[in-house]
Order: sequence, then C-alpha cells, then structure tokens
Amino acid sequence: MPKLSHRVGGVMLCVLLGAIGGAVGQGLLSTIDSGILLGAGYGAAFALLAGPRATTPGAGLIWGLGFAFVLWLAVPVGLLSAASEGMQAMGMLDAARARFSHLIAYVLCFGAPLGIGLGTWGILRREEGHPRFSWPRALVVGGLAGVVGGWAFGKWMAQAGFFPLIAGLVGSQSRMVGVTLHFTFAIIIGASLGVLFQRDLRGYGSSMGWGMAYGILWWFVGPLTVMPIWAGQPLDWSWQRGAALFGSLVGHIVYGLIAGLIYAAFDRLWVGFFTESDPIHREPEGPGVSLLHSLKWGGLASIAGGLALNLVLIASGSMPSVLRAASGGAPVFGFAASFALSTVLGMSYGLLFHKEAPTFGAAVVWGLLFGLIRWYVDPLTLQPIVLRGTFDWSASAASVLLPSLVGQLLFGAVTAWSFLALERRHAAWLLLDPRVAAREARRRRPEGTPAPGLWVFALGTGVLLPILLG
Amino acid sequence: MSITAPTLRAAWTAASSRPSRVLRRAGIGLVGGLLASAALVATLRLGAAPVALGVLVGIGYGVWFRFPRRAYVDSMMTAAALGIPLWALVSVVLFPVLSGQRPMWTAAGMRALVPHLVGWVLFGAVLGLASQAVSDAVERWLGPEPAPPSAPEPHKRRIVILGGGFAGVTTAEQLERLFGADRSVAITLVSDTNALLFTPMLAEVAGSSLEPTHISSPIRTSLRRTQVLRGPVSSVDLSARRVVVASVPPITLPFDQLVLTLGSVTNHLGLENVARHTLGFKTLREAMRIRNQVIDSFERAEIESDPERRRELLTFVVAGGGFAGVELAGALNDFARGMLADYPALQTDDLAIVLVHPGDRILPELSPQLAAYALERMAARGVTFRLGERVADARPGAFVLKSGEEIRGQTLVWTAGSTPHPLLTALPFERSKRGAVVVDEHLAIPGHPGVWAAGDCAAIVDARSKEPCPPTAQFALREGRTLAENIHAALSSGRPKPFHFDALGALCVVGHHTACAELRVPFTRRHVRFSGLLAWMMWRFIYLVKLPGLERKVRVLSDWTLELFFPRDIAQTISEPAPAVEMRGPPTAAAPSCSPLAPGQPHPAAPALLP
Repeated sequence: MPKLSHRVGGVMLCVLLGAIGGAVGQGLLSTIDSGILLGAGYGAAFALLAGPRATTPGAGLIWGLGFAFVLWLAVPVGLLSAASEGMQAMGMLDAARARFSHLIAYVLCFGAPLGIGLGTWGILRREEGHPRFSWPRALVVGGLAGVVGGWAFGKWMAQAGFFPLIAGLVGSQSRMVGVTLHFTFAIIIGASLGVLFQRDLRGYGSSMGWGMAYGILWWFVGPLTVMPIWAGQPLDWSWQRGAALFGSLVGHIVYGLIAGLIYAAFDRLWVGFFTESDPIHREPEGPGVSLLHSLKWGGLASIAGGLALNLVLIASGSMPSVLRAASGGAPVFGFAASFALSTVLGMSYGLLFHKEAPTFGAAVVWGLLFGLIRWYVDPLTLQPIVLRGTFDWSASAASVLLPSLVGQLLFGAVTAWSFLALERRHAAWLLLDPRVAAREARRRRPEGTPAPGLWVFALGTGVLLPILLG
Repeated sequence: MSITAPTLRAAWTAASSRPSRVLRRAGIGLVGGLLASAALVATLRLGAAPVALGVLVGIGYGVWFRFPRRAYVDSMMTAAALGIPLWALVSVVLFPVLSGQRPMWTAAGMRALVPHLVGWVLFGAVLGLASQAVSDAVERWLGPEPAPPSAPEPHKRRIVILGGGFAGVTTAEQLERLFGADRSVAITLVSDTNALLFTPMLAEVAGSSLEPTHISSPIRTSLRRTQVLRGPVSSVDLSARRVVVASVPPITLPFDQLVLTLGSVTNHLGLENVARHTLGFKTLREAMRIRNQVIDSFERAEIESDPERRRELLTFVVAGGGFAGVELAGALNDFARGMLADYPALQTDDLAIVLVHPGDRILPELSPQLAAYALERMAARGVTFRLGERVADARPGAFVLKSGEEIRGQTLVWTAGSTPHPLLTALPFERSKRGAVVVDEHLAIPGHPGVWAAGDCAAIVDARSKEPCPPTAQFALREGRTLAENIHAALSSGRPKPFHFDALGALCVVGHHTACAELRVPFTRRHVRFSGLLAWMMWRFIYLVKLPGLERKVRVLSDWTLELFFPRDIAQTISEPAPAVEMRGPPTAAAPSCSPLAPGQPHPAAPALLP
C-alpha cells in the first residue's frame, strides 16, 4: 500500500473510530457535548500526529493513552472549565475533580480504541526491520506474569474482602469462585500484555512502566466500568467513586508492575537462552560483567539521588516510620538508614533501567518513573506491611505520603542522570571501537518507541490521581 | 543587499561551530517556550513572569532535546512528561522558597497547586509541538542542522609495552584507566602469549587440580582500547625509537614511550646437559607438559615388569627449594600418590618425589620455623629432600648431584634459577648482578628518556626503604601501576611518583590442606606467621580474589569444588612427545616404548589430542 494512501486511510479510520467513541461517550456522559464532532476531530488529530509511530496495536495504545491524558487536561479541565466558569476555574482542583468522569471517557472512548485501531492499521504496513513477533512467547510468558501479578493483587483483595464481590459477577457468593475469576482475569490481562507490548518491552524497568500504565488502564476498564455494567448497576464515573476504589487502583498498579517485571524476567530468560547464548551474538562484555557494572553505577549514582531524597524527607518531616523506628528516633541514624536503603535501591535502578535512555533527557524521565514506582511500592505498600502486617492502600494514606512523592521523584531523576553519566564514561572506552559502538547502539532503546506516551500517561495519572482522589 | 534563504543557508553552513548550533537550538526553544507560556500564564496567575519562565525552560528544552524531523508526537509527549518534574521543582519547591515560605509538598499544598500541574503539563505539550514545528520550519528554510565537525585526528602518542605478564598487563590496564577515551594516545602491548598467566596457581595445573586455561586470562578481553600483538620481539632500536615484532611479515612499531616488562626466563646456570634433559616451570605449556609427563610415566610404569625401571619411571625430581619448587613438589606428590589408586600394578614404594635444594633449608623467603614446618609436613606426606645439594649433571635415566650421588629417574623439573629476558642483553642499559635493567625510583631507565622498565626484568630499589624489590607478582602489579601513572604524568606534564611498596607477606601451599603464611600486620613492620589449614584457606581465598576476571574466579572455584567430589583428571591432553623422551635410555626388550623417536614420529604411548 503506498505511504500516502495508508496515511489517509489511517486518518479516516481514526475519524470514524473517534466519532463512534464520541457518540458512546456522549451516551454515557451527558456532560459531553457534540461528542461525534469532538471524537472525529480528536481522531483526525491523533492519526496525523501519532500515525507514523503507531506501528503496532500496543504502541498505538500507549500513544493513545498519553494523548487522551493530555487532551483531558487541555480540553475538559482547561478550556471547558475556563469557558463555563471563567479563567479562574481553569485547572482548579474542583474543576479537575468534577471532570474526572471525562478522563475515564477520554481514555476508554478515545485513547484506547483509537490507539489500538491506528496501531492495527499500522501493522498492516510492515516495514523492514520490524521486530519479529512470537505468539507462544507472548501468551505463555504474559500468562505466567499475570499469575504472579494476580497473586500479589489477590493478597490485598483477600484483605479487602473483594473476592465475593468478584464472584457476584457470575451470581455466586463463593470465595473460591471469586479467586478463580480473579486469576482468570489476571492471566488474560497478562497474556494480552505480552501480545500487545512484546515488541516494545526491552528491559525490566521499562516493562514495569508498561505494566503500570496497562494496570491503570485496566482500573478504568474493570472496577470503574465493566464491573458495574456487568452487575447491572448504574455507571458511576465520579471522583468520589474513584476515591472509594483507590485501593483497587494501587492494586492494579502493583499488579502491572509485577506482571511487567516477571514478563521481562521470563522474556530475558527466553531471549537469553535461545538468542543471546548463541556465540554468534556474543557481546564484548558478558551478561555477568554488564550486571556488575549496572549494580556498581546504580549504587554510585544513588549517592547524589539519596542525598536529595533524604534532604526532602527531613525537610518535609516525612522520614519513613520504618527508618525512624530502626534508628530509635535519632535523625542522624534515620538519615544514614535511609541513605543506605537509597543506595540499594539505586543499584536496583541500574539493574532495571540500564540501556534504556539514549539521552540525558530520557534518562531523567525514566528516573522519574522509577521514583514514582518506588513511591507506590515502598512507602505505600511495603512499609505498612512491614510495620503493621496489612495493606493500607487508602486514598487518605496516599495523601499522608504525598510529601515524600516529591523526594522520590527527585531521587529517581538525579540517580538516573548520574547513572547515565557513569554508563557513558565507561562506554566512551568501548566506543573507540566502531564495531562495539554499532552493537551498543543496537542494544539501546531507539527513538520512535512509544516511551514518551508511556511517560505522560504513567507519570501523569500516577502523580495526579493520588492528589485528585485523596 | 537582500538577505535570501540561499545566502543565509551558505552563511549557516560556514558557521557550523558548536556555538551556532547551540544558538539555533536555543532560538527554536525560545519561540516554542514563548508560544507555550500561554498555558503557564493562564494557570500560574503570576502576571507576566510565567512568560520569562516559559522562555527560559523553552531554551533549555531546545538545547537539550532534539528529535528527528516531524517527530511531533514524540516531542509533545516528552515535553509534557517533563512538565511534571517542573511542577514539582518550580511550583512546589522553588516558588514558595523564593517567597520565604516552606515548600508546598503537603497534601493540601499539592492540591492547591493542581492548576500549576495542569499548566506545566499543557505548557510541555505545546512546547514540544511548537518546538518541533519551528525546528522543521527552520530546517526547511535554512537546511538541516550542520553535523558537528569531526574532530581532527590528533597526533598520536604511542606507548608500546613489551611483555604480557603481571607488570605489562597492569601497566596497560592502568594506562587505559588514566587516559580513558583520549584518542591522542595509542597503546600497544606485545606478548609472547595471548593470555596473562596467573603463576601462583601454576603448580595446581601441573598437579591436575586446575584446568590449564582457567588460570589464564585472555589479554584481549582484559584490555579495551589497547592493541594486542602476539609474537616475540626481535629487536628494539632505541635511537630510531621503534620495536620489531618477529611475525611474518615482521611488524615495526614506532614508539614515544617504551615499557619493558619482558619478565624472566629459566636459567640453567650453564649446565647444558641439564638444560637439555629438564622441564621448565614458568609457562602454562611447561606446567601442562609436567602433568602429562607424570601421567605418561605412570602409564609406562603400569606395564613395566622390571621393578628398578618402574621406580626410575616414577621418580620425579624437582630442582630448587624456593616457592615454585616447593609448591610444585607438594602438588606433584599429591597428584602422583592419588593416581596410584588407578594403577593397580604400582605400589607406594615405587613412587618418589625428590626435592633438591642447595641451601640448608627450603623456602629461604620464609622464617626458619615455617620452613621447618613445611619440610616436616612434606616429608610426612612422602616427599624426599636432598638439602645442601644441587643438580650438576643429567643424562638419560639419571641425574647427578654435586656430591656425585646419582638419582635414577626420568623426570626433572628445573626451578632453581631464572634470569631476565635475553633481549635485554642486546640493549645498552646498565644491568644488575642478576642481569636486570637498572631503573631510577620512578621506574625510568636513566639516560634513555621515555624508556621504562618494571617486573622481573627490572632492578628496582624501593624509594623509601632503599631495599631492592623482589621479582614477585605482588611487586610487579604495583610497579605496573606506578609506571603507568608516571607515563601519564610524563605525557601530561605532571610529576612522576617514586615507587614504594611494603610487601604484604608470603603464602606457600605445601600439600593437601596445608600451607605456610607469613603476613605483615597492616601499618607496622611486624609479621604474623601461621600454618596448616587456616593458612591454606587463606591462600585459596587471597589468590582467588587476586585472580584476574570474574569468569576465571568462577571457573577455578568450580574446579576446586569438583575436586571435593571427584578424583583429579588423569586424561592426557598433549599428543606431542615431552622433551624428557630424549633422556630415555637405550631401547630394551622390556621397555620397547622407550625407544627414541624419529623427528615427527608420534609417540606410541602418547594418546592423540583429546577433543
């Protein structure tokens, strides 16, 4: 198919899908005016901007989600608020909360269908150099990752008494039925993660990012939309409903993080066993040496990041309770314990995100994502478990922890920047050899992947939702 | 004169320097930031200040980020994502701090700043789109951004290192570290072998405890930017400043800095017969030959009916009671006595490991108490000692000691002397009694600027203690580091560093789970001495740590672990006849396999090279 006609076809498809999405959105939300027109315009803009980049359904979906989030901020929260309530209302908390339902509509009626549609259209025009796709690898590895992620999520669901609620979807009250349904969904979502994103998942850290974004999407799809419809209840997309389901949001995020991590681990094992172990594909430095370098640089990089984090934690009075308890309340010991923890976590940054950032700018954004992941995993999940043995994924708990979010973001950004500086310093030696330089370039994430879409959606929703719903 | 696009384009291409590139990007970012600042003005509500802020951020974004043509969605999303940290940094922290308040990072504060968050994300999205559009327009108008001019190839300063032992490889590694990716320096290392041999574990190879390649680290994988050439050096021309490597065709290497780390070779003290009938113990090949010679002797002895002849085959003599000789004798003793289990026709009495040493005690490097302990333990395990003796002559089937005593045997390993590399004799350097090149305290050779020496081939005096440094691996490593630092100083107008090193001590394995240790107490001149299992464990730990390369460490550790469960390997791996064949006696009916071989004829008892 010629390039131009393919492009025009993509625009027409998106206009059509956008119009349908707009009609559906208008049907679901009375506050959306001129839905068909809005959707058609949205679809055309999305196709023109993201058309060349939406090369697979998964890539299209991530671009679509990022686009939906930005458009929600621009149109309902920004322009519509200003138009209806004056400039003073533009972007205000109340306006954003009042239009939380629009966020769900933008994601489900525009972002996801347009992204998947444009990506599916894009895959029809195969170009040379397209990574090969393996269905067995996607389904098996994704399914396994879904099981592990579902197990972690299931721990919270058991505590919150969610399983009978799930069982109610098939008219049962049995906990066992609920567990079975939960794992069935977990496997399906995990397998779809593999199918959609196999071509984009490279390292552990980026896979966790993809998993996080996918988990957030499923929070919009599952508890906020499908479950009430399935149960025959009226659809409630208010921010209060979102706040009530905040625990489920964190659960979906943790599920996505674990599923992404496990997917990457199995995938690396698969690729390592079948591809990288082949001497023909040998790298100048073996995987063991690369791993040690990553740990070393991550540890060193976290010195700067840890310093920034701890200064924020002390200044904001949000030193984690675990560390306060461990240090007996002495600030110096608390600082030292937190600093040591940051070093270990910095090493994990090296392990998770090496070879991901081609530039310092990209490194900073990956670092922010790392900091956000740490906020969800460490203070919001692990610390309550360590201190009290229970989950505390409530919106109020997240509100209390918001001050440390700034510190974690700063920690991630500084650590990532320093890590790339160390990585480049080492690579400068290797890159004197052009063959090594070519191999290195192949291993690093290229430009054109949907990583920027991921950053906007995961960072934007990951930071904004705890603020909005608390 | 009118300004046209081609005129501008030509001017632009001519000014493709870094400042103009930065200026172009900054201009693009400035326009993008100016357009996008509308979002900040609407949400930050700080008057016109957000415009200046937007322009500043825009300039930074333009300079730091650059996307390929028409990458609108990439640029838009990336900049939008960067809006979140900008919100945290500027709105949450910077604005309140500048106005004398605490950062607004409480939940309530952050909620109050939601409009700023919206504003920053939208600012980013517009900035990305606008910058990309301006960038594409500028590219259409002025042409693509000129590629940075490739840096001219700098004048190369050539450092040539001769020798791939501890000193040579350490010098190269340290030079790589010091010069980093500096393209003005070219480092070349010439070595007879392509691997660095970890000599402290050589006795374990001869004793079949370790696989030969596991103690050799390939130099090419250890060094990243050094050119490695394998081959012997045939000549060094100091006046023309070049080295010739004896390859086919010969390679001439010009140098600005020359490092001599050629090491030493076996010195047979002028005993020609001994040189002809002995095995050396300095290289991996020699260690493998010793191992194969032992296995070969056992195979022959197993089918030998004459008891005298059998004892002759199973007598292994080691000349020299220093570290190398003692460790080798201990390893051979363990190996050979363990092999008896696989050869039912052989008895313990048939086997003899004899150590000949001219001094009145072995291990002169250690204290008399430890030397006595080593002798006692080794004797208890079956090693025979001839102290106050030296091997004076050798003939087929027998070795003659200085006292006239004759030891009937087939295998003699010589560890009784070494001398610096013979190439040094052809060079006009002052040399010490043992033939090593005399260097100054900075390891430079006096009178020859840019020529340095370290390791076994150099006579080095410690700059602080004024004591001569022994030719050991421990010193060679430190000498290599200092030498590299001094070359770096010489090439970067720095100050050279005098060489000083306090020896850490010495460790010597004398048999199964038995070793002697004499270690210096840190920061003092005192030494602690101990022996037995603890010393043995320390030996293994320290040398495993010192063994270069993680991969090699893992391999050696696996060999040691396997040895706990399985007997040592007695498969022969070299098919060529060992040199000891020459010293076999005349053919007899009882020992047909001992007949001398014609050149090129495969030895009947030697198996083919195993796959």
